[in-house]
Amino acid sequence: MPDTLPLDAEQLGAWLHGTAQGDAAAFRALYDATSAKLFGYAMRILGKRELAEEALQDGFVAIWHGAGGYRQQLAAPMTWMTTIVRNKALDRLRGSARDSDLNGPVFDHDVMQALHDPRATPIEALLLSSEAKALAYCMSTLDGMHRQVVGLAFFHDLSHSEVAQQMAVPIGTIKTWIRRSLERLKACLAKGERA
Amino acid sequence: MSIRDNAELRDKLAAEYVLGTLKGGARRRFETVMRDDAGLQRLSTEWQQRLAPMGEFAPPRQPRTQVWRAIEQRLGLRRRHAAWQFWRSESLVLWRSVGLASLALTLVLAATLVLQPGLRDAPRVDHLAALADDKARTALLLTADSERGVITVRLLEHAPVAADKSLQLWAVPIKGNPRSLAVLGGQGAVALGLTREALGDDVALLAVSLEPRGGSPEAAGPTGPILYKGAWVRIE
Repeated sequence: MPDTLPLDAEQLGAWLHGTAQGDAAAFRALYDATSAKLFGYAMRILGKRELAEEALQDGFVAIWHGAGGYRQQLAAPMTWMTTIVRNKALDRLRGSARDSDLNGPVFDHDVMQALHDPRATPIEALLLSSEAKALAYCMSTLDGMHRQVVGLAFFHDLSHSEVAQQMAVPIGTIKTWIRRSLERLKACLAKGERA
Repeated sequence: MSIRDNAELRDKLAAEYVLGTLKGGARRRFETVMRDDAGLQRLSTEWQQRLAPMGEFAPPRQPRTQVWRAIEQRLGLRRRHAAWQFWRSESLVLWRSVGLASLALTLVLAATLVLQPGLRDAPRVDHLAALADDKARTALLLTADSERGVITVRLLEHAPVAADKSLQLWAVPIKGNPRSLAVLGGQGAVALGLTREALGDDVALLAVSLEPRGGSPEAAGPTGPILYKGAWVRIE
């Protein structure tokens, strides 16, 4: 099962390097290792399978063409690919009437459990890249409502007022929660804190 | 308020730009300023690195197999398996003349890298080939010494090759399939026996392909992309 493979940065980096040299087999290996994660992400943003599949296609076409410009010292492979797929998904989202499911859970069940209580569900056991594990740890230190607000905004490309409406919380409060959450995440990631 | 001199505001805006909550006119203004503001670009990149991994928190879903087929089709990957037969569409006669045109450059390289004066065992080189990538950067230098019957292959730069890959050197004849000469490591020099396969009159071109570790699984020629190519040049 490709989605149970660990997302090892070194291996992904080697496949990206091969992709940059036009190696179709390396590109296929990269797709097999990451497509379930990236498709799950596109689905969360777009809600509709057809749209998410188009965004995934757009993303991998861009990864093929852009692999030569990828610099490992600037971003981990998964971070780079996630950003590409996010941008392609948001392009599709802005080009269509929004009807993704804002009421569904933003995060994967296991991730949600781990964020809520890292002692019961260790973050280390999640099938995430090391960057995502570090972020998961830092997000677990946020208040649950704040975490939900950050996730909603990020996954659904919402404005402050849309988040406020969704959460039934005043917009001023939402702005404060987001600002504080971002400050805390930055400080926590800088310290490299781990559970 | 100018955002150029307000470090705190700059960081806050970059964060909300990446999170997505910076919208409408404010987002467009931020993008306009960022175009000429390297510091702001860096702040945004840093926030990208912090927040992008959140994408991995979504539950994984297996895409349908037709998604891969569509990607393959859009990129023309199915046709690419025959791409190594590039010489069938290129004039091999032209390749020989390109080899001659780059003779001067090759000689300079050889003089500086190979034919170092004063070496007791300096080889008597009578054939040279400079293999270059598609941006005309020379990556490999081949020198042949007919008297001793030795061809030396030098990688001019350390060429990073993934652990599961190898570089393979081929002689491409005017007719028939390419002939494998050697599977190369990622660096250093390799000595080969000088044979008709490598330096015969029918050799139009030399090429290096990227292959699975240990070399191409196909006897008939390369399976991976051609990274470097060039032609033999005879020198006196």
